[in-house]
Amino acid sequence: MSIRFVNVVKSFGPKTVLQGVSFEVPAGEVFFIIGASGVGKSVLIKHLVGLMAPDDGEVWLDGEEISRWTERQMFPVRMKCAMVFQHSTLFDSMTCVENVALPLRKHRGMSLEDSLAEARRRLEIVQMGAFGDAYPAALGDGMKKRVAIARALTLDPKYVLFDEPTTSLDPVSARRVDELIARLSRELGVTSVVVSHDLVSIFSIAHRIVMLYRGHVRMIGTPDDFRATTDGVVQQFIHGRAEGPMEL
Amino acid sequence: MSAAPSSASPASLAASSKGNDGLAAMLGAGVLAAVRSAAELYSVFARTLYYTFRGRRERGAVVRQMYEIGNRSVVFLSVTMGCIGMILVYQAGLQTKRVVPDFTLIGATYLELLVRDLAASIGSLMLATRVGAGIAAEIGSMVVTEQVDALRMCAADPIDYLLVPRFKASMIMTVVLIVWSGTVAFVAGGITAWVAFDVPARTFWNISLLDWGDLITGFVKCLAYGATIPIVSGHAGLSTFGGSEGVGWATTRAVVNSSLAIIMLNLFISATAFVVFPK
Repeated sequence: MSIRFVNVVKSFGPKTVLQGVSFEVPAGEVFFIIGASGVGKSVLIKHLVGLMAPDDGEVWLDGEEISRWTERQMFPVRMKCAMVFQHSTLFDSMTCVENVALPLRKHRGMSLEDSLAEARRRLEIVQMGAFGDAYPAALGDGMKKRVAIARALTLDPKYVLFDEPTTSLDPVSARRVDELIARLSRELGVTSVVVSHDLVSIFSIAHRIVMLYRGHVRMIGTPDDFRATTDGVVQQFIHGRAEGPMEL
Repeated sequence: MSAAPSSASPASLAASSKGNDGLAAMLGAGVLAAVRSAAELYSVFARTLYYTFRGRRERGAVVRQMYEIGNRSVVFLSVTMGCIGMILVYQAGLQTKRVVPDFTLIGATYLELLVRDLAASIGSLMLATRVGAGIAAEIGSMVVTEQVDALRMCAADPIDYLLVPRFKASMIMTVVLIVWSGTVAFVAGGITAWVAFDVPARTFWNISLLDWGDLITGFVKCLAYGATIPIVSGHAGLSTFGGSEGVGWATTRAVVNSSLAIIMLNLFISATAFVVFPK
């Protein structure tokens, strides 16, 4: 039971963003993908749920090669592999509770009434029960993020992909999200793949980290491996230095 | 005898050949892009039809869209069609007065023209600007903010969830709006004929030239345009890329392509109708 990328190549027009990326994420890990902006981190995790297809290479999930599956074949994959988008991406035209209820209705075929009741319960868990009938436009970033996490977890997925979950959050909200991700792994055995630039998050909850650089895997290892490495590019990135060998 | 100097040096020939290659590549790329776009449009249309009959029903979604497309367009369409009706009848009256000052058939001819062609074509062009732009902007914004990806994650096909309710609502409301705005255009024309040329309402209200062929042609046009606007605009919205600039382009593309599609369909349906229902 794992996630595996094998020589994944992805281009947009003349620009090849991923140039043969390979690594594996074992079950239950909190796995961080780091790298400079535009290096293809978000693009990579979208391959895992069929929101993008690789130009070349393979994407494996639970022992099945899924990179060429059709939209309909991807539905079961998306039930066990949820995603929290960078900007929360709640549906503007729906209330919070309707947002959380949608996967229950579509994936599980639950009735509207049952799905709304379950969605309210899920919102309570992320301390957003009082805002169930509010529209996303009325919420702050942190609150939207919590609703988005509730929506992602509503189907009890085995895998959760977080795309910059702490970006635009205040430090307290950010640490709460970190704690939630760690708890999912610790208590429920959920595998979390987290795209992040947040160094505090990375070094506090990551089991392992992969760094992408210029379309390739630059380094993969534990947080201690990253601290100990002598690779100038990695050191520059994890210490957030403006000067160094890193090319943007 | 010295050879005549060549007008083109090897360098200029090479440059010219390179220029031709560049032009060919540009034309080829344009043709390929057009073919790809047509294939995508066909795919959107086929999937919309599939989900129209086989998709999951969202409670109230079609009614909401009918309100957005229909009720919110009534005033706009009534005003534009009323004005166009007045202008058309006034111009037709002036010509008639100059050639044969007999107004007995002005209403009948105008009604035939309205039913067979003008009400559906002009009304739908107006709808394309309002409804088409709205659909493309809404779906395009959802694409650039990843809401469409989020929908796909929830096992909701964007075509089924976003486009099908708009497609059904547009099919119904285009017919209703065209009938309504055509009536407004006819009444406005009748008032103009009475005020400008003293044509009595009883003379203007003349259905003697109207036949089943006109009615069927007009109805087919309403259905075709009602289907075209959400499909073309939805495709423009779903193929949005980039940020707010991309949404702007999608909106422009939706209006231009919907209008173009309506005009081309008008030619095709009218030509077919003249063969099937000859005058």
